[in-house]
Amino acid sequence: MKCEICHKNDATTAYTHIVDDTKKTLLLCASCVPQNEEKKKAVPRPKEDESTQSVPELIKKVKVEFNTAGPSESTENTVCQGCSMTYKQFKKVGRLGCHQCYTSFAPQLERLLKRIHGAEAHCGKDLVEVGTVPSPQKALEQLRSELKDAVDREEFERAAQIRDQIRGIEVDAEGRSLR
Amino acid sequence: MNISELTANHAQWLNGAEDRHGIVVSCRARLARNLSALPFAPKATVEDQEQVIEQVLTAAQRGHLMNSASFFRMDALRENERRLLVERHLVSPALAESKGQRGLLFSRDESLSIMINEEDHLRLQAILPGLQAENAWAAVNALDDELGASVAYAHSDKWGFLTACPTNVGTGLRLSILIHLPALVLTEDMERVTRGLTEMAFTVRGFYGEGTHPVGNLFQVSNQSTLGVEEDRIVEKLTAITQQIIACEKDAQDALLKEARAQVEDKVWRAYGLLSHARVLSSQEFMNLLSAVRLGYSLDLLKQLDSAFMNRLMIVTQPSHLQMENGGEIAAEERDIYRAERVRSHFATLASEESGQS
Repeated sequence: MKCEICHKNDATTAYTHIVDDTKKTLLLCASCVPQNEEKKKAVPRPKEDESTQSVPELIKKVKVEFNTAGPSESTENTVCQGCSMTYKQFKKVGRLGCHQCYTSFAPQLERLLKRIHGAEAHCGKDLVEVGTVPSPQKALEQLRSELKDAVDREEFERAAQIRDQIRGIEVDAEGRSLR
Repeated sequence: MNISELTANHAQWLNGAEDRHGIVVSCRARLARNLSALPFAPKATVEDQEQVIEQVLTAAQRGHLMNSASFFRMDALRENERRLLVERHLVSPALAESKGQRGLLFSRDESLSIMINEEDHLRLQAILPGLQAENAWAAVNALDDELGASVAYAHSDKWGFLTACPTNVGTGLRLSILIHLPALVLTEDMERVTRGLTEMAFTVRGFYGEGTHPVGNLFQVSNQSTLGVEEDRIVEKLTAITQQIIACEKDAQDALLKEARAQVEDKVWRAYGLLSHARVLSSQEFMNLLSAVRLGYSLDLLKQLDSAFMNRLMIVTQPSHLQMENGGEIAAEERDIYRAERVRSHFATLASEESGQS
């Protein structure tokens, strides 16, 4: 049996704790039993960082994981640094407020995304670097296939427009290579 | 392009190419993208939205694919005009109906478009006729490359492209086909097909996408997951699945024809007769009759028309198209008369072409 707080070491102690007036017994490893509570408390630490949360907070979280009855208040009240949306608000509207929400709500979203997509990480197209001059090749390929389609279907007006667009790109590219 | 010119414009996706026995109408690839510098839709102010529009227009100007595109601001359009764009599948019902500064940028043949300030800052769309998932993806990917080189997208190494709704995160790619399945509906096999697709993480929706009902036996099939699946894999999967659905539909069609040839032929020709001669046609009745005629085309019973004819007719007889052609608001009853007129005149051209050939 692994420790119910760190999930790494083997549990060696049954630790009983009162949370919200209910007696709760957790199986913990030596480094997670309460004497550490005092040591951890002595070090000032940022509140949102999961790895440095105090034992009662962690126990609360463990409780959530075990009961799955409902999210704890601290989870609900997590605030995004970028747009000040709270996780609770997100849950209500179902939409995130900015790209930083993904960092601010990372632990919660990790679980959510896994549930929605059955996957944990992106694979596929990468970000194109801003400022790169897009190679006209892709656009040309695209337009040429459109041109073929237009000609096949005898849509000559459309074909003429696409041809002009292709010429424009080619002239552009030539100019660039001469520079 | 002026919005009133749109009704006469020939959208490429309706031209009937790659229609696989008239079963597949179109294929659409849509990418959800956001700009990292600005708040997402729920937190965006009007100024933020303006900035999105400005940056996207500038980026489009710099690229090759959309530099001669048309641009509409949603708030500058009347409700009927916005509905017209929905009917042409250029914008979603959500973009047409929501508040704030929203825009639409689209290429002349309507194959490439960008919805601005919908649920995400950008929704890039490529829509092509028939089963062309690979080409639709290639087209939207090329557009995405062009824009991505000009504006900084919201992105994380772990989760890929970041979207307002976590259901789109990752590739942001929603690939869908619009498919006509009359025989599977008639043989009551649609439920089984839908269940099978759901198990494979694909969704079946109505004619206009999310939250809409199927009309005239037309369904939209699209991928559910956007995280952890490469774009090419989604393309492959959707193409393979569509081929399977086509095979099922074809089997069901052939079985129907074998078991009840006279009844099937009668259904098809009655529909043809009604469309050619009816004086009042509601939207619903028209779509059902068109479905029967399309079935006739799939079964090779009707040779005088093709997918392009039916697809275009399906769009120009939608309520907002009829109103626009008629120069303004018309009541539903009047619209049904006007619709019947439009349909009749289209069918009359078929008849005259046929007599001209013989």
